[in-house]
Amino acid sequence: MMTLRKRVYVAVLAVVAMGAGACSMPASTTDMTKTSAPMADASANDWTTYHGTYESWHYSPLTQINTDNVKRLRVAWVHHPGKSTRGLQSMPLVSNGVLYYTGSYSRVWALEAATGKPLWSFFPKLNDDLVAAQTHSPYTRGIAIGHGKVFVGTVDGRLIAIDQKTGQSVWDTKLINSEKLTVGFTGAPLLVKDKVIIGSQGGEWPGRGPIFGVDATSGKKLWEFLTVAGTEDSKKTWGNDSWRTGGGGGWMAGGYDAETNTVWWGTGNPAPLYDWAGFEWKTSGPRPGDNLFTTSVIALNPDTGALKFYHQELPHDAWDFDSAVGEFVMINRDGKKLVVHPNKGGHVFVYDRKDASIVNVWQLVQNINFVKGIDPKTGALIGRRDLPLGKHTNLCPAIAGGMSWNSGAYSPKTGLYYKIGQEWCMDLEVIKTTPILEPQAQLDIGANFTLRNPEGGKAHGHLSGRDPVTGQKKWEVRFTEPPLASLLATGGNLVFVPDARGFLRAYNAETGQELWSHNNGIGHNGGIISYSANGKQYIAVATGWGSLVGDEFGGLFGEPFKSMAKDAGSIVVFTLE
Amino acid sequence: MFFMNRVVAFAAVLTLAATVAHSQDRSATTANPPGADPVIGEQLFASTCGFCHQDGGRVAGRGPKLAGTDQSDTYLLNRIRTGKEGAMPAYGRAFSEGQLRSLVAYIRSLKDEGR
Repeated sequence: MMTLRKRVYVAVLAVVAMGAGACSMPASTTDMTKTSAPMADASANDWTTYHGTYESWHYSPLTQINTDNVKRLRVAWVHHPGKSTRGLQSMPLVSNGVLYYTGSYSRVWALEAATGKPLWSFFPKLNDDLVAAQTHSPYTRGIAIGHGKVFVGTVDGRLIAIDQKTGQSVWDTKLINSEKLTVGFTGAPLLVKDKVIIGSQGGEWPGRGPIFGVDATSGKKLWEFLTVAGTEDSKKTWGNDSWRTGGGGGWMAGGYDAETNTVWWGTGNPAPLYDWAGFEWKTSGPRPGDNLFTTSVIALNPDTGALKFYHQELPHDAWDFDSAVGEFVMINRDGKKLVVHPNKGGHVFVYDRKDASIVNVWQLVQNINFVKGIDPKTGALIGRRDLPLGKHTNLCPAIAGGMSWNSGAYSPKTGLYYKIGQEWCMDLEVIKTTPILEPQAQLDIGANFTLRNPEGGKAHGHLSGRDPVTGQKKWEVRFTEPPLASLLATGGNLVFVPDARGFLRAYNAETGQELWSHNNGIGHNGGIISYSANGKQYIAVATGWGSLVGDEFGGLFGEPFKSMAKDAGSIVVFTLE
Repeated sequence: MFFMNRVVAFAAVLTLAATVAHSQDRSATTANPPGADPVIGEQLFASTCGFCHQDGGRVAGRGPKLAGTDQSDTYLLNRIRTGKEGAMPAYGRAFSEGQLRSLVAYIRSLKDEGR
């Protein structure tokens, strides 16, 4: 049997070998999919890492469920973990017939993938007082598996390895002084070779947003990269020693380019979130300067944690439009190896994988006025709208972003990138708050705000299928409210969208035609995967409502969100009847 | 050490309060109990609470509208101290008693505009 490590290498090599064709010739489909599948044959039935593969495609090559028969999709089994505070937000993983997932409070379950029969569960003992004091808590977005272990972070700052067969703790390493900083881990770890990589919470929290590399066997911390002033040069981009409280947590799992041994990771926004210095941000205010490496994509050596190169998507982010979105969609085109990365502000950046140089920048959402534009050749911001002390109206997008943290999907069969866009704006008042000179226990925002409809229209969301490099739109479907969950593309030419009202919907990946839907009875703000067990293909989706973005829906959209439960959620698994 | 930092930070708040109050044209009322200053409360609110209570607590958002609340001071103080699981963090160890009372004073200063 191949190990996870070997399987991933094979998958990566297969993708690298076939990538150029997949991108430049999207019409030649079926055979290419078999050989260029993001998961090699040994793992094509599985889903072994947060983004499906290191390439962040969120794509399963399985074809048993397809456009012709998706109408026969029915619930196969359901698992209720209980105590799903803020809903299930995690991405399940599947390996060798076992489905693993984590719920709120970092509780981990192993279930028989074909039946849902529980095999084991692991409930870590957490610092309850600390959990109660946290804003972004108690959800956990996912796990990593490999080396016979399941890896999960906790909101009280630990990374835990669990025996994959028995569910017993193997090691438990404290990485963050969460008692002081009130942040821990909510994002999934990323396993790269023998290192477990995980990033801390914390954009608007006054810490320094570390990303850690931990030995998968022993649990020993091997390296730590500070996303705030992680190098001496970058420290100069923080005036008045403001780097001490800079924020910048890289809380979502990134991607890995095995060919160059490079981890790609996105970082959070700086603190305080809004900067009363306004136009004078280079020389005054609470954090004068560009504030490296916040709101940036960074490339790290997974063996040492050393920074290879970076691109700061928004220098001196004054809007909370961070780069923490974890998907780094790796594709090849015209001989170039590219990575596509969405920024929360509503633009999609296309980079050359060799050095993060800009290949293109395109706009996914319509309502953007925090900048007039972003230069598609250089990535430079054009006409930025800084926000001095006082009231401002109609800032677009709203703080919830043009895109949220859950992932889109890419299909090598269609060559299209599927992504949710969010259309909403807000009014705000920037307030000069007390300077925070040391790490403290709570948020550092610096404004009051109210979400609102865009001028001349209603807040809404949309799903579109686009060329990932040019942004050219092939089709779009409008939603009355933005779906907040991750998407799934499959070899059956389907795109699955778990929406906010509770419906899981399947679309024709080529045309956007809706083919099937099922009401799960509660909104979605987590993951979705596909896998095969005992010869049958399954679709597994996390249900449950209550993310911080979802919390805005009651005020903005009314029912069913005002009364939607925020303490429920389950894993619902579908197969053909 | 952490406690001392908070003390220093709170002292800084007090030092800055008059200046900021003037620049923001927001005046403290005299009806508040000792240590309760709505201007300080407003600053704290914009740092930590405005993330959920929209427009400074004047309208409902992630958190409920606070302007015109009929809850007692005791209720508000306890809710800020202990939070509500899955909805609101507990700030009891983050804020001093004076800061907590300043937050309540700020909430009391909000006019209910019926929004």
